[in-house]
Amino acid sequence: MSQVNIPNVKIAVIDDDLLGRDFIVTVLMYCVNRDILSFDSGTAAWKYIKDHGSPDIIISGIDVPGLSGFELLSKFKKKYPEKKCLLMSADPAHEQSARDSGADAFLAKPVSVNDLFKVVETFVV
Amino acid sequence: MIRFGPAAREMKSMSKEDIFPSRLKLLIIMSKAYLKDYPTGKYRKQAIIENARFVFYHSLKLSSDIATVKNDDSRTPPGTASSGDMQDEFIFYQRTQLLAVMAEALAEGRLEGQFRKKALQDNLNRICETLIFNFHIKDVNFLKVA
Repeated sequence: MSQVNIPNVKIAVIDDDLLGRDFIVTVLMYCVNRDILSFDSGTAAWKYIKDHGSPDIIISGIDVPGLSGFELLSKFKKKYPEKKCLLMSADPAHEQSARDSGADAFLAKPVSVNDLFKVVETFVV
Repeated sequence: MIRFGPAAREMKSMSKEDIFPSRLKLLIIMSKAYLKDYPTGKYRKQAIIENARFVFYHSLKLSSDIATVKNDDSRTPPGTASSGDMQDEFIFYQRTQLLAVMAEALAEGRLEGQFRKKALQDNLNRICETLIFNFHIKDVNFLKVA
């Protein structure tokens, strides 16, 4: 398991499901005590990254509008290979594709509080 | 690649039915962390308030749904299993609403003093007891058939 320590971590969450995305943002904001970036499409996230620089970690849904999670992962890893990209989906078939695409982690939906605590433990502290 | 979350056969989109218990669990953790004097910061406080508001309004809706069903279903005699369950559920959602109010107060620095903290601890204990109890009851539903 990769253990890193990011003191002022910047995390972005990308998902078009508002209810689920807000939940993930609340848990992460509480865990890391930092503002969490939130986007409803891969295109909006990529535009932000190009304009403002990259977050340390992005957590993206796979079936999001505009750039899909896989496309975002590909562009992100090409430009920032050292940063972390986690993909999430409710479709079991996406797990192998996420592995093949080089995602650092796969979050199976529905995402629980404990899963997000483990994400923070693994990638932030 | 690290994997998090449920097994493949349990994967599904997140619905309100998944979010409410998860947010309630998070609110319990937030409150317990406060009682254990874990540090809070600007964004932690913001997260507590956002979470408390979601739990409050969702609990309010669920308890008013129960009240509506209770009023509509006047044929069920008082004291039957179904009306008793409904009353327990109603009280449970009243307690989760109270927890949400307490959590928002603690995030805003308004939950000071020994007795307020004790009230928070008691409410947390009752909610946790109910959650554990309900979990077991649902698990042994098959015992109704001999």
